[in-house]
Amino acid sequence: SGVLCCSLPNPRNVHFESINMKNVLHWSAPEGIGHGVLYKVKYLVYGVGKWIRKPECRNINRTWCDLSSETSDYEEQYYASVKAFLNGMCSDWIETTRFNPLTDSKESSSCSQIYRRKKNLLFYVFQWWFSISNNTLVVPWLEPGTAYCVSAQIRVTTPLLHSGFSKEYCIATLKDKTA
Amino acid sequence: DALLPTPQNISILSTNMKHFLSWSPVIVQGETVRYSVEFQGEYERDYANESWIPICECSLITATVCNITEDISATVAYNLRVRADVGTRRSEWGTMKGFFNRITTSLTPPLMKVIADGYHLFVELEDMGPAFQFCVLYWKKGQESRVQQKVVKEVSSVVHLDTMEAGPDYCVKAQTYVEAINRSSSFSQTQCVRAQGGTSMWLV
Amino acid sequence: TAGNRIFHFGQCRVSMSMTEIRLGFTAIKANIQARDPIRTLSILSHPHSLHKVKSSDRCCITHHLFNFYVDKVFKHCKTEDSYINRKISSIANSFLSMKRKLRQCHEQNKCMCEEESTEKFKQILANYEGLNVTSAAMKSLGELDILLDWME
Repeated sequence: SGVLCCSLPNPRNVHFESINMKNVLHWSAPEGIGHGVLYKVKYLVYGVGKWIRKPECRNINRTWCDLSSETSDYEEQYYASVKAFLNGMCSDWIETTRFNPLTDSKESSSCSQIYRRKKNLLFYVFQWWFSISNNTLVVPWLEPGTAYCVSAQIRVTTPLLHSGFSKEYCIATLKDKTA
Repeated sequence: DALLPTPQNISILSTNMKHFLSWSPVIVQGETVRYSVEFQGEYERDYANESWIPICECSLITATVCNITEDISATVAYNLRVRADVGTRRSEWGTMKGFFNRITTSLTPPLMKVIADGYHLFVELEDMGPAFQFCVLYWKKGQESRVQQKVVKEVSSVVHLDTMEAGPDYCVKAQTYVEAINRSSSFSQTQCVRAQGGTSMWLV
Repeated sequence: TAGNRIFHFGQCRVSMSMTEIRLGFTAIKANIQARDPIRTLSILSHPHSLHKVKSSDRCCITHHLFNFYVDKVFKHCKTEDSYINRKISSIANSFLSMKRKLRQCHEQNKCMCEEESTEKFKQILANYEGLNVTSAAMKSLGELDILLDWME
C-alpha cells in the first residue's frame, strides 16, 4: 500500500512561528482537501542522526503543533516535518527550513517610547525614549491639556534582540485651570 | 572585429558611505556603447585566484556611472574594472588605478533641525542609513564648559534632548559616526533656541 | 544598526561589527541551507558543540575558524546565482577584516591554543573532510549563523 499511501497532496507552507521563544509549527491543509485530514509531526535536531515523533501531535486535525519544549535549546537548530492522512491515503513528509530558535524568534514588546500629539495645530510627534527594567515608568514635565501616547518594545542584550513596538495607548493630561 | 578603446579615467566618488564608480565615455560614431563593471575584493585577490565578480546592475549599461555601494561592504582594498561593448566588438578591461577602501569615504556633517516645544528641546536628524550614528552636543549658551552629549544610534524621528529653563538660549550641534570604519564627520553648524512658555516654536 | 562590539575571547579583546556579516548571511541563508540536503550531520555543532568551549580556548578556536572559512569554505561556494556570489564575497571580505583584528591578539600571545581547543578544531576538520568538498563547503557556509551566534 506504500505507493497508494503517498498519493495524497502534501501539506503546504510548513514553517515555525516563534514569538518570545514559543516555537509553534504551522502548516496549511493540502490543496483541494476538505475535512477529515489528520496529521503527524516529527522533528530533528540538526546534525543529530534521528527524527523524533511528537506524540501529542499524532493523528491531529488542527494545523499547528507546539514544539517549544522540543526546540528550547538555542544552541541547537532544528527541522520539523508534517505528513497528512485521509481515507487510507497519505502525503509525503514535508519539512520546514532549518529553524534557529535564537535568531528566528520574534519578541513581543515592552521598552517604552512616549510621544505627544497636539490636536489643532500641525500634527507632529515628539518622542522620548526611556529604558526601564521594571514595568512602571513615571514621566515628568508633561504639558497640560495635551494627548500623550505610549508604545513599548522589548530589548534583550544577550543575545542582541529587540521586538517591534506595541500598539499605542493614548491619554490626555488635564487642562490647566489657572491658564 | 577591431578592438574597442578601453574605458579611461575610471574613478570613485565616495561620500557618506555611498560609493559611485565613473569613467569617461568611449566614443564610436553612430553606435551605442554599453559598459560592464566587475569588482575584486582582497579575498578574491589573495584567496580566490584573483577572480572578479560582475555587478549585474551594471552589466551592458549605457550610463558611465555605477553605484557600487552594495558590493563595497567590507573595510578592505577593492579593485574595480570596466569594459565597453558595441555589438560583437569589445574592449579590453580598463582597471581603476590603485585600490579603493571605504575607509576613505568623505563624511559630511549631518543636516539637523533644532526644535523648542514649550520647555522641551528636540533635535531632528537626517536619516543617513544604517551605518550611521550621531553624536549630539548641547549646552546652555554661555556655559560652553558644561556641554552635554547624546549618542543617537537609530534615527527614527525627532529626539528629545532636554527640558529647558525659561530664559537662556540652548545651543546644539551634531556630527556623524560610522563604526564600520571608526570615523566621524566634522560638526554641523550650531543652532540655538529658547524655551517658549507653553507654545512650540519651530526654528526656521 | 551598525554595532561594533567588544568581543572577549579569553584575554583577547577585539572591537568588531558583525552586523554586515549577519545581514549578508541572512540574505542568503535560505538559499544556501536549501542546497544542503544532509540533516543528520553538522560541521560545527556535533558531536562537540562550540558552546562547550572554555573561555580560555575561545580565541584559539575563533582564530582557527576564521582561517577555516577563509582558506577552505568560501572559495568552494561559487553558485550560478550572481546575487548569492556577491553576498558571499561581502562575507568573505568582512572575514578578512576580522581575521586581521584577531591577528593582533595572536601576535600579543593572547590567543594560545591548548590541547582541548586543538582537539575540538580537529573534530570540525574531520566533519568537513567526511564530505565531498562542495557539500562540505556549502554545509559550512549554511552553518555560519552557528558561529556568529556563538561569537555573540
